Amino acid sequence: MPKQDEAAAVLRVILVDDDRSRATIVERKLRDVGFEVLSVIPTASGLLYQMAQQEPDVVIIALDSPDRDVLESLSIASSHNPRPVVMFSEAGDQSFISDAIRAGVTAYQAQDINAERVRAAIDIAVAQFSAFNNLREELDETRRQLEERKLVEKAKGLLMTVHKVDEEEAFSTLRKLAMDKNRTLGEVAREVIEILERTQLKGKGR
Amino acid sequence: MSDVTRLPPAEKNELSLGFLKLTDSAPLIMAQELGFYEKYGLQVDLQHEVSWANVRDKLVAGVLDAAQMLSPLPLATSLGVGGMRAEVITGLALSLNGNAITVGQGLAHQIAEHGGDPAQGACSTATAFARYLKSGDRQITLAAAHTFSCHTLLLRHWLRAGGIDPERDVHIIVLPPEQMVDSLGRGIIDGFCVGEPWNSMAVQYGIGTVQATGYQIWNNGVEKVLGVTENWHQNNPGSHLRLRLALMETCTWLSHPFNREQTVSVLSEPQYLDLPPEVLRPALTGQFSFSKGEAEADLPHFHVFGRFQAGFPWRSDGEWLLNQIGDLMGKTLPAEDVRSLVQRTFRTDLYREAARHLALPCPNQDYKPLGQHSENWEIEPGIELGPDLMLSC
Repeated sequence: MPKQDEAAAVLRVILVDDDRSRATIVERKLRDVGFEVLSVIPTASGLLYQMAQQEPDVVIIALDSPDRDVLESLSIASSHNPRPVVMFSEAGDQSFISDAIRAGVTAYQAQDINAERVRAAIDIAVAQFSAFNNLREELDETRRQLEERKLVEKAKGLLMTVHKVDEEEAFSTLRKLAMDKNRTLGEVAREVIEILERTQLKGKGR
Repeated sequence: MSDVTRLPPAEKNELSLGFLKLTDSAPLIMAQELGFYEKYGLQVDLQHEVSWANVRDKLVAGVLDAAQMLSPLPLATSLGVGGMRAEVITGLALSLNGNAITVGQGLAHQIAEHGGDPAQGACSTATAFARYLKSGDRQITLAAAHTFSCHTLLLRHWLRAGGIDPERDVHIIVLPPEQMVDSLGRGIIDGFCVGEPWNSMAVQYGIGTVQATGYQIWNNGVEKVLGVTENWHQNNPGSHLRLRLALMETCTWLSHPFNREQTVSVLSEPQYLDLPPEVLRPALTGQFSFSKGEAEADLPHFHVFGRFQAGFPWRSDGEWLLNQIGDLMGKTLPAEDVRSLVQRTFRTDLYREAARHLALPCPNQDYKPLGQHSENWEIEPGIELGPDLMLSC
């Protein structure tokens, strides 16, 4: 961690994210580094009120929050918006903004706050969002592999009962099918289950 | 129709397109269902987006290739107001009209008490609303779907036509379309201007009464456009052309009234709008109710797709929109800047390129008069346009 400068330490943040576990991680990290997290809210429905009450320096918001258009409407100076916000983009280069968007997060800052200070907060959010998304992808992958293994087991079992073969033979049949058809073991297993179950049902019907 | 083999190749075949949960996303969705993307060698992934800010940012970041956009949005984005600045262009308008102004039953009752009758037209309700505001001191809050949208512009125009100052006499806020009906029902707002199906939903739930349709305020105003970044267009001119062709054929298909019922049932599916068909039907079939239990009015132009040169991105419309954006920002944009920004953003040349491939007639000029025709008219031989009046009381 880089040494925090005093200015960054007092930056006041509101975090809007409807994914609670992700929000918790981002909030903890922001606090660890010394930002003041004023509130963490799932949707921006109460955001206008909170912004008027708490006057945050920066609002970090998950990209898929439907309330971003509401937030951007505050950038239009009017008597109703005592503290105009701007999208964080001026200080950032285009690739930084794109990375943030790809990670699923973006930010708005009060017009009078130095963008350099805001960047540190967004860096943290982007890093945490990316890490969280990777974790979720890994989880999905693990789940998929588990599912595939279950399918293969089931297909093997069916092959063994229907075709009266042993486990090894059943497995090599599946593997050969997968290689011939240039498909994954899971895909082939699913097909085999479908076909065998159908023929079994037909057999019972007779 | 066009010979696909003679088209320039697509630089990119797999495209991600963004749409919002609105009945006028019909062109993007029906092109998928009818196989028009496929016909032009494109494989399209339709992504449901929840905000216009997301649409813009994902276009700029390259997460989306193209998207349905509010007609003022490419201009506002190129100007860099309200969010990040980026060159966004359009070579095809997707629809005309499609919005309405709805108020909650409390305010609807007051407007009626002051002599306003939606059946008598948008002036009747606007002037009655003005009389009500003068008689009381209640703070009225109205919502529009986006700052730089036709919704905001139509709402302000309707208020002004009735003698209401949109800055001082009412409070206008922005809310996501999908939250409008709920916010009206809970009394957080008194009314809204939004696209369909959200007006019809408020009517059918008995929460609100429609006071004016977008068509009544601006006859055949350009509503949604196909937006891409200038950069994306430079890198993918062939894909962009094929995409416009697929959507133009879909809009022609949508222009036939007998295809609208099929559109209702497709749009209601879970992967698209995921809403009951009865909520989507009024706007798409033009059998529209202003209040619950009331007989349907026949509004065939509630959504215009394909007809009246609806796809042509008129630069005169662009200039009007851009000047309105300036008005919202409280400044007058120099006429020179307006002209050049609109020329860069509203790409009539790209429309003509696509129209040639489809052998569709299209205007030779980029500008048309605004607010002068109450009936269909011909701007050039064979080029029929619809009425273009703007509400004045």
